[in-house]
Amino acid sequence: MLLALVWLLPLLGAVLLFAFGPQLRSWAGPIGSALVGVSFVATCTLWNDATVAGGMHLPLVTWLSGWSFGLSLDKLSLVWTLIITGVGFLIHVYSIGYMDGDRAFARFFAYMNFFIFAMLTLVLSDNVVGLLVGWGLVGLASYFLIGFWFERPSAVAAARKAFVMNVVGDVGIMFAIFLIVSRVGSIAFSDIFTRGVPAFGAHSPELFLVCLGLFIGAAAKSAQVPLHTWLPDAMEGPTPVSALIHAATMVTAGVYLVARFAPLWSSSPDAQELVGVIGALTAIAGAILGCVQWDIKRILAYSTMSQIGYMIMGVGVGAYDAGVMHFLTHAFFKAQLFLGSGIVIHALNNEQDVRKMGGLRKGTPFAFWAMLVGVLAICGVPGFSGFFSKDAVLYGTLSLGHPWLYAVGVITAGITAYYMFRLLFVTFFGRYRGDVDPSALGMRHPELAGTGMSESSGAHPEEEEPHHEHAPAWIMSVPVAVLMPFSVLIGWLDYGGESAPWARFFSGAFPTSAAAATPFSELLSSVLVFVVVVIGFAIAWMRYCAPPARANAVERLRGETIRTPAVLVNAYYFDAAYEMLLVRPAYALGRWFVRVIDPLVIDAGVREAGISSQWLGHLFRSFQTGLVRTYALTMALGVLCFVAYYAFAFGGAR
Amino acid sequence: MSVAPENYVALSAVLFFIGVVGVIVRRNPLIMLMSIELLFNSANLALVAFARAWVNNAGHIFAFLVITVAAAEAAIALAIVAVTFRRTPHVDVDEVAALKG
Amino acid sequence: MIVFAILALFLVASALFTVTAKKPVYSVVGLLVNFIALAATYLTLQAEFLAVIQIVVYSGAILILFVFVIALLSSGTRAFSLGPDRMPRVAIPGILFAALACGAIAVTATRTSLAVQPTAGATGDANVFGSVANFGAALFTTNLLPFEVTAFILMVAVIGVVLIAGDEGPAGVPRRKKRRSGPREPIVKPEPLVR
Repeated sequence: MLLALVWLLPLLGAVLLFAFGPQLRSWAGPIGSALVGVSFVATCTLWNDATVAGGMHLPLVTWLSGWSFGLSLDKLSLVWTLIITGVGFLIHVYSIGYMDGDRAFARFFAYMNFFIFAMLTLVLSDNVVGLLVGWGLVGLASYFLIGFWFERPSAVAAARKAFVMNVVGDVGIMFAIFLIVSRVGSIAFSDIFTRGVPAFGAHSPELFLVCLGLFIGAAAKSAQVPLHTWLPDAMEGPTPVSALIHAATMVTAGVYLVARFAPLWSSSPDAQELVGVIGALTAIAGAILGCVQWDIKRILAYSTMSQIGYMIMGVGVGAYDAGVMHFLTHAFFKAQLFLGSGIVIHALNNEQDVRKMGGLRKGTPFAFWAMLVGVLAICGVPGFSGFFSKDAVLYGTLSLGHPWLYAVGVITAGITAYYMFRLLFVTFFGRYRGDVDPSALGMRHPELAGTGMSESSGAHPEEEEPHHEHAPAWIMSVPVAVLMPFSVLIGWLDYGGESAPWARFFSGAFPTSAAAATPFSELLSSVLVFVVVVIGFAIAWMRYCAPPARANAVERLRGETIRTPAVLVNAYYFDAAYEMLLVRPAYALGRWFVRVIDPLVIDAGVREAGISSQWLGHLFRSFQTGLVRTYALTMALGVLCFVAYYAFAFGGAR
Repeated sequence: MSVAPENYVALSAVLFFIGVVGVIVRRNPLIMLMSIELLFNSANLALVAFARAWVNNAGHIFAFLVITVAAAEAAIALAIVAVTFRRTPHVDVDEVAALKG
Repeated sequence: MIVFAILALFLVASALFTVTAKKPVYSVVGLLVNFIALAATYLTLQAEFLAVIQIVVYSGAILILFVFVIALLSSGTRAFSLGPDRMPRVAIPGILFAALACGAIAVTATRTSLAVQPTAGATGDANVFGSVANFGAALFTTNLLPFEVTAFILMVAVIGVVLIAGDEGPAGVPRRKKRRSGPREPIVKPEPLVR
């Protein structure tokens, strides 16, 4: 019952805030937050029930045999539920401060609560159909929240893009479900995992297809190449949304999906290989793009994409607990980074371009420390959480026999260190550049027109409203402060190899793969990664923070902006390719339909149908004399026909 | 039964014919309705004759139901006639042609 | 055979009279004769219950209804008048064909011989074909549902008649719901507390 409460409280909040939002006014935020908080506490009390073997199960509805719907909470979904409700609660609290004074304050919290509900549906469902429903609903919530400031055309476009790309993924999952149901005959996870692999046959092409369909969904939701282009654009949404949905929870649903279907993946090495490669590709592609971005949230977005690449790589190669661990640590430090950047953005009146920042270490010291801890964590500095999880993922790829993926991961770690410290240095060190002429920084350069990089998102319309009192600043700082120790310490759960709490927590939960011989030990691997990270840090230091770089920062930023390779400015031309390959042909097809099919087939058909029915109507009208006796005569003739038939066909037949 | 049932059926056919002619030819709605009653009765006669021939009282049941429906029909039809012709000078079904297409 | 011939004569003659009568009242009389003759015919066919029903329902109820409506329409100042009947032009071939068909039935029927199964037993025994008890048993056991449906049809007919003829406005148009204007009067008037 408590599980249902966990699940439904956010829905209650969403309904409540939708229905009574205007009446609740500023109470909307606290109410929405409190419901999520209660949900979190309830989840905590379920800890013991969830961690027994098999977890807890709450059947709800049985539709057909094999089609029962219910909730289940096992170790994997427990981790996700705790993050969704816990981090979700903190971000709700933060939003009270961040969204303060927004016209649609209550609507924001209604959407946020709805998102929490949808995400809980996704992770708590005990069957694939419920998972798909949650999958679609989080996409919907994401659509609402990206397009939250719907007065901005760019936000609307970004929301639409995210929704469409997510639907591509939904279709993939749907096909996988069709295959599963047709072979297994059940939608329950327990049935699929016990009967699925025998039904498909290990290493069979069908199993690969199922995994591929699932992974298309995972790739779309988790912004994996080539379905990643929506994530940077999704930063059009309010910053708490970026922190909650597009960093901590929703985009990691792909990781959840792969980890959830671990029994299937482990029997399909081809699919595992594919997922690992895509993850590594995404990790390095996102990291490289992160190096050339100037919008603080876009940098974080690409870093999210890159980090999810790590997770996907981890769960893809079979290091499930490492991938989930990276999800856990990432949820904390990336939420913290986003919330920290949100404080900066809030303080600078919605300025998001780091070139116009600088020296904010003194202006927003709290944000600086929060971001610093986040950056150290994401870079994998020993002792911080990212160190443990990233090393676990990387060493997992190596020990499971994927040295090339390992190499890519290590290089990506170096790039990550470079762009994250670049962000930190450009934002918080040097001199404040908010008053420098933008063109001197290389902004609004003709070459960059229309790429989205040169435009800062601008002030949102709500800003002009006469402001009432602002919520106190602490309401934004406290959640970040709460996140901070977790960002540092949560990684220690994975300290100690086989006997680490994390490894024991998940022992037996995932199928294990045969370990390959590794060329060097985990300690050496950690040292190697750390060296690469230090190199990345050093390059960033020399380019952005060393005294000569600080001296002519404006000039250097301008030069860098102008000299950015076009291929990176355009994000490898993915958007352009989609435009050329899909959008333009679709438009052309549409125009052809407008010109040919619509007037000549559809309209003509409708017109002809109308004309012919009119003609028929005229014909039949002449029969309707309105005279009763004529009708009677007609009936009599009909009777006559019957009688004649029977009389002459059967008469005297005896 | 001394008389063969085919005689009853033939009688029924003749009565039916008379009723049909009445419905088609007469313009007085009341006489048309009475002709319709004739039609019902001729059908009933055939039913009862066949029931007797095969010693099966389903025909009786059917005739009973027909009588009931005929009663309902007569009540409704007479109500319509009463309402329709209360204000018109002539009682003529041909003047009631509002449903002409 | 003689009984049948006489009854058939009555039936056909009264039917013809009904159809050709000038005034509806005459038709009613013709119809009355027809119904009674038909009831007698039913008796020759051992349909006792139906014969009674024929008298009660048809002669007793339906014909009286006809008479009532005739009286209703004939009352008042205007005469219950009618011009000469005109046939629709198509009626003549129609009638001809109908006559042919009925003749065909009649001829076919008389040429065909149906084997008649004998019946025996005392009237009133439920096992005897045509007895009231036999009829009732069939009506209330195997044919209970049609019987109930018939009751429903009759109820619908009653409601229909009330709707059609009952609530009629001055111009022959059914009245709309009356609209109240002004404030509602209190249903219960407050009584003075002190007597």
